[in-house]
Amino acid sequence: MNLFETVQQEVIERVGNLSLTARRAVESILAGQHRSVRRGLSVEFAGHREYQPGDDLRHLDWLVYARSDRFDVRQYEEETKLRATLVLDTSGSMGYSSGTQTKLAFGLSLTAALGFLMIRQSDSVGLVTCDTGIRHFIPPGSTMPHLLHVLGALEQARPGGETSLAPVLAEIAGRLTRRGLVMLISDGFDDPAALLTSIQYLLHRKQEVRIFQVLDPLERTFPFKGMIEFIGLENEPRLKLDGDRVREHYRRVFANHQERLRSGCHACGVQLETCWTNEDLAGVLVRALTV
Amino acid sequence: MFEFLNPLLFGGLAAVAAPVIIHLLHRRKVKQVDWGAMRFLAELIAQQRRRLFLEEMLLLLVRALLVTCLALAMVRPAFHRRNGEVDGQAMVRQGRVAAVLLVDDSVSSAVGRAQPSLETMKKLGAAYLDSLMPGDEVSVLALSQLGNTPGDPVFDLEAAKSALNQLKPGFVATDIPALLDGALEQLKRHVNPGAELVVLTDGRKEGWQETDRGRWEELRTRLRGPKSAAPGSRQRPRVMVLAPECGPIEDNLAIIALGTDRTVVSARQSVDMHITVANYGLSASREATVQLSVNGRIIGSKTVQVASGARQEVVIRHTFPEPGSYGLEAALVNHHDLLAADDHRAMSLQVEPALAVLLVEDGQAQGLNSKLGFLAHALEPEPDHSGAFRVTRVPVTQFLPSMLPLYRVVVLGDLRLLDATMVDALERFVVGGGGVLVGLGPGTNPGFINRYWARGGEGFLPCPLGPVVTLSKPALPAAVYLGHPVFNGFDAKMDEAWKGAKVTTYFKLDTARIRAADLDVLLKLDNGDPLVVQRRRGLGVVTLVGSSLNTDWTDLPLQAVYVPLLRGVVGHLGSFIFPPRNLLPGERIIYARVSTPVASMQGEDNRGQPLNLTLGAWEGRDAILSEPLMEPGLYQLHYPREAQPIHYAVALAPAESALQPIKDREITQAFDGAVSLFHSPEQVATSLDPARRQSTELWKGLLAGAIGLMFVEGWLTRREARATS
Repeated sequence: MNLFETVQQEVIERVGNLSLTARRAVESILAGQHRSVRRGLSVEFAGHREYQPGDDLRHLDWLVYARSDRFDVRQYEEETKLRATLVLDTSGSMGYSSGTQTKLAFGLSLTAALGFLMIRQSDSVGLVTCDTGIRHFIPPGSTMPHLLHVLGALEQARPGGETSLAPVLAEIAGRLTRRGLVMLISDGFDDPAALLTSIQYLLHRKQEVRIFQVLDPLERTFPFKGMIEFIGLENEPRLKLDGDRVREHYRRVFANHQERLRSGCHACGVQLETCWTNEDLAGVLVRALTV
Repeated sequence: MFEFLNPLLFGGLAAVAAPVIIHLLHRRKVKQVDWGAMRFLAELIAQQRRRLFLEEMLLLLVRALLVTCLALAMVRPAFHRRNGEVDGQAMVRQGRVAAVLLVDDSVSSAVGRAQPSLETMKKLGAAYLDSLMPGDEVSVLALSQLGNTPGDPVFDLEAAKSALNQLKPGFVATDIPALLDGALEQLKRHVNPGAELVVLTDGRKEGWQETDRGRWEELRTRLRGPKSAAPGSRQRPRVMVLAPECGPIEDNLAIIALGTDRTVVSARQSVDMHITVANYGLSASREATVQLSVNGRIIGSKTVQVASGARQEVVIRHTFPEPGSYGLEAALVNHHDLLAADDHRAMSLQVEPALAVLLVEDGQAQGLNSKLGFLAHALEPEPDHSGAFRVTRVPVTQFLPSMLPLYRVVVLGDLRLLDATMVDALERFVVGGGGVLVGLGPGTNPGFINRYWARGGEGFLPCPLGPVVTLSKPALPAAVYLGHPVFNGFDAKMDEAWKGAKVTTYFKLDTARIRAADLDVLLKLDNGDPLVVQRRRGLGVVTLVGSSLNTDWTDLPLQAVYVPLLRGVVGHLGSFIFPPRNLLPGERIIYARVSTPVASMQGEDNRGQPLNLTLGAWEGRDAILSEPLMEPGLYQLHYPREAQPIHYAVALAPAESALQPIKDREITQAFDGAVSLFHSPEQVATSLDPARRQSTELWKGLLAGAIGLMFVEGWLTRREARATS
């Protein structure tokens, strides 16, 4: 079963009509359900789509209902499309797993689900996979074949390299010239200050930013007992430590990191959603997209 | 300086390694984990590594120190000041005292005008015990109890006084080095840091064994301890001698020896019984009667009057009608002196039907001209077996191990070879108590003998053989071991008896390579070479004659001296009865006939009272043992299948009768000056009463330290537990 089928069966069917909306106005000439910053553009009928709860009843095409007993919504070209860029961190640390799946596997599912949701609502989706640098860059597109292209790129992603989100985000910011949405899927194991600086740069470049922080439960609880040799996944030197003795100190450092990241994101209006690899993906999406 | 009172527990210090080993083992059990969030650990290490390491090391150090304190407390270190010598009149003691009182309750302790000297010794001992304080511990070790398991040290000084007061004069011989040996062993059972060995002696010289210099030197070394040891400490115990003043004895007549004129006594042959009476008094004795009884029946008596310092020998002739065990007792009757214990002397005598002797030689083993023909005729002139010796002659080819148990003495005459099985059997025969006489000659193969019989002094032969010496001018026997039982049959003109004997050829006996103290040279040639040597091997004795026992190399067999000499040698070889029946006070009756059940044996002491008999072991065999026999006299053992009892005799050591006072200077020399000598209770009180104590035991401090460390360890552990929870 490939990534598309997985996401379709396990996530999208359960998520239902959940839509991904930008909180800020986007700048686009494409049609979409997002409020446009451009005024005075012509209003042209673009087609129908199935009614979904929450759609404005004004756009319901009663003629179609009368003819075919279906609730369809009329779509117009003047609704601007959202240009979203999914940034997936594929650094070595994303390869960690304490249970059934790695953080990267969870991130891949999450990215695919987000892409699927966006394509379904006729938004454009692009993809960036990165570690120390950008590994794949797919500019946004809104067609189903484009989504399949994105999913194909995701299936080829493998963990490796060191985490270096700040320069990567800065580079992405340089490449994105129009307003849009950047969704970062990462464990966030980078210097919070540098990461926040890059996020602020993205915001400055008229990008709305959402962060999905993917973590393993053991990375919070640190339940190791006795002498443990920790082997880094990003070629760090090995460390031999007494798990019992360092647990409390580790938890303090980890909590401090999370707090810095959370407060930094909060300060610049960026949504930070922390997801755990043992969580249900659909539940994560519902929680993140209904906020 | 420090001393460790329980040095055997030093091994406990190894426990110090336990926390370190546990720590290292804990570190060795490392599990590997792939980890993504390394940046947090790296950050943690950067911040906390030094603190974590220090905490870990601190906890390890505290645990190791805790174990160290406990282990050291068990070793019981004591701190002594070095100057533990006499301070003015008062003696400075090292903390609490571990005192071992050594009481010489020998025969001589019964001597005294108004009261036995043992009573005076008790007063001295009581004065010493009065100088001790509660907490001091005491052992009372009496000479007569040395063979028994000593009692535990007691802290109850009154109990120690009571144990001292219950002692009575015994009959054992004084042996001060043995007492000190026992005291040093007993001291190991004490726990107090200050050590004092207190010798309570009657002041008589006998038993100090001053001539045994090697033994005293070893004792002094043990008493001196290491150079760093403080005087009065466990490693260097203080020695005190408490001896009442004593002078020479005015009147003591003693029977110091009782014996026969031959080594093997046969039935129906007259035997001269020799009784030696010595006068150790200051003046000539009055007339006294020496009376000899055999199995309780008086067989003769004679009157003696002995000058001061002289000895007189009384001879009483007697014929024993039947073979068997006899109990002889000589006594001075109608005589009273200061020491009654030495006025009589007992002896056990085994009268043999005839001594069974096996002669083994090359050739036909018949006639006078064979290798042992002269010896056979000397031992048994008439072939009717009516004499003291019953001789059997066999050629070496018919010599079998099964024959050995039937004979007491085996004579090997100039054998060329001997089967290895026979050599082995002969060795076991000698070790088990048999006697072997070896004669050499032209047929002797020295290489074979040295290799298999002598084995560099380890075999049954007394010494290896050197080269054959052939003299152009024959050598004469020149010196003999005077007083040896072999020469009992010679008359007073012994020297003249050798004048006609000539030795032309002989093996040079290599006695220089044998340093054994039990090697006796019985006869030498006038050129200094040994001719007859004797050595004890196990329970038996082997005599080696360097020349031939026939006329091949010497004309000794043609001389009159040959017969008494060889009869003496062979008789001596066959005279040993094992287990011994003539005992010293404190020894036990041993009956090694294993098939006899204990219940069927009955013992009787010198007062006619039954003896307690138990089953034990002697020389690896089951044996019936009596309790230690303390009083001199005759004892009997009855066994069911024999009509006659076996007689055992307990006799005093002759030296105890001399009663020579020992001088203070001699005592001081014995201990190389490291001794305090007291003659009166007042002296003891003056010197020891205000004795100061100046050593400290550190175990309390160490235990307190350990408890403190336990609290610290508990606090550190709880702190860590809080951090990890």
